[in-house]
Amino acid sequence: MIHFENVGMRYGMGSEVLKDISFTLKPGSLHFLTGPSGAGKTSLLKLMYLAHRPSRGKIEMFHEDMVKVPRRDLPKFRRRIGVVFQDFRLLDHLTAVENVALPLWIAGGKGVEIEEHVEELLTWVGLEGRMKSRPPTLSGGEKQRVAIARAVIKRPDLLLADEPTGNVDPAIAKRIMHLFVELNKLGTTTVIATHDMGLIKKVKADRMHLSDGRLQFIRAGEQGPEEELNSASFEPHNLDQKEFGPRNYKGEGQR
Amino acid sequence: MIKAIHFLPDEKNHEATRLLPYVMAVMVYLSALALMGSMMLHKGFGEWTDSLSNRLTVQITTADSVARDAQLTAVIGLLRKTPGIEHVRALNEVEIKKLLEPWLGVGNVTDDLPVPDILDVTVSRNLTVNLDALRSMLAKVSENIHLDDHQQWLGRFLRLMDMVEYTALGILLLVVLATVCIVIFGTKAGMAENRETIAIMHHLGAQDGMIAGAYQSRFMKYGLKGGIIGLILAFITLVSLIYLSRDLASGLIKMPELPIVQVSVLLVIPFCAAMISMLTARITVMRDLARMV
Repeated sequence: MIHFENVGMRYGMGSEVLKDISFTLKPGSLHFLTGPSGAGKTSLLKLMYLAHRPSRGKIEMFHEDMVKVPRRDLPKFRRRIGVVFQDFRLLDHLTAVENVALPLWIAGGKGVEIEEHVEELLTWVGLEGRMKSRPPTLSGGEKQRVAIARAVIKRPDLLLADEPTGNVDPAIAKRIMHLFVELNKLGTTTVIATHDMGLIKKVKADRMHLSDGRLQFIRAGEQGPEEELNSASFEPHNLDQKEFGPRNYKGEGQR
Repeated sequence: MIKAIHFLPDEKNHEATRLLPYVMAVMVYLSALALMGSMMLHKGFGEWTDSLSNRLTVQITTADSVARDAQLTAVIGLLRKTPGIEHVRALNEVEIKKLLEPWLGVGNVTDDLPVPDILDVTVSRNLTVNLDALRSMLAKVSENIHLDDHQQWLGRFLRLMDMVEYTALGILLLVVLATVCIVIFGTKAGMAENRETIAIMHHLGAQDGMIAGAYQSRFMKYGLKGGIIGLILAFITLVSLIYLSRDLASGLIKMPELPIVQVSVLLVIPFCAAMISMLTARITVMRDLARMV
């Protein structure tokens, strides 16, 4: 699904922010991406959601060499990726429904079908009363849920989330994590960048740890670098998969 | 129901492009005036030159009136015998005075003012008159007889006409160029304002064409709106000018009129403005997006 080989990345003429990154993520896998601030987590995610080209190395995604793929073909791969940005990146002049509907509309979907689908998902993330609200009128947590709904509406092949539970209360965080786990079970390869050690312990997924631009793999349950354990402040959530789940959400977005 | 999502923010909020329709209106106003002016002059000049192209004027400036009358009779006889000349008519005193009035003022042409005899000669459009031979024959009658075929004047007039038309065309080209530049600046400013929106659309898998489409339809609207305003203003200006010039002309020359059929062609200007604006915006956006990842 994703294969990085000796990948380096720099911004402009600056020094490399990612150095010799090599890893392979199997289809349907779930990984956390951890590391101190400035370690290159967002840069690595940028490479994965095809917003940046590497300065060297090889990136293979969806069985294609992403370094060689011509620019005009990138949109069709981007449509298979759902991204939850740390700063949400919603369009302020559009309603919550329109923001979430964007990926479906871009892919050529229209009409009532999209709207029903979007409203169902927004209801599921607890925003049933804020469908027509615009992002500037939403709280941080509400914006984050809109951003998450937008990322998963098309049931992407690859889901990348940058601190997706950072701004929400524990109950919603649990619900969101459950959505990710459910999508992952349906086959979506998932990478979640987070500082939340409790989340990592609870979900029991392998961890990609970035430090100073270099990547290290840590198996689920194994202890990671000390600085992270020290900074962990976590109140465990009980992830009950029967309690939370996209009951009505079929997740069959158009491609 | 979601039919289309207008992912670009409302144009009301666009500082960079808010004034564009008005700039387009000015551009269309200038080009419409240049074109209409050119068309009017073309028609007017055409009528003037047409009315002179088959006419000759013979002046007899001999001071002695008895000798002048004799020469007049001889010249009329000579002209009527010349092949290619259809009609010869001597202007009477009243007509000659009327010709002088615009220059000297009404009532200032006194009876003792020495005025020449003037013959208005109509030449056949099918036959060519040998003007050199005619001139030498007239010179034999008297050296005070002058033949004017208006060619020198007509030649200058035609050159002026060409120059006016080329100038109008040049103005039009400059205006189109300026419009293209303004649309490029406007599009780039609009893109800079919406850089984040464009980046998000790219991340969500939008093709460049989709983003360019939003800009091109917006700029087409600006072009059309500005074009209609500009054309209406140009018509108002031109009609006012024609109305005012009627009082000034005072019968000296026939003022050109608005060629309605030709002017109606100008109705396509707003659509041309819309097309130019749309295509320029599309090309600008596509080129800028191609430089992004």
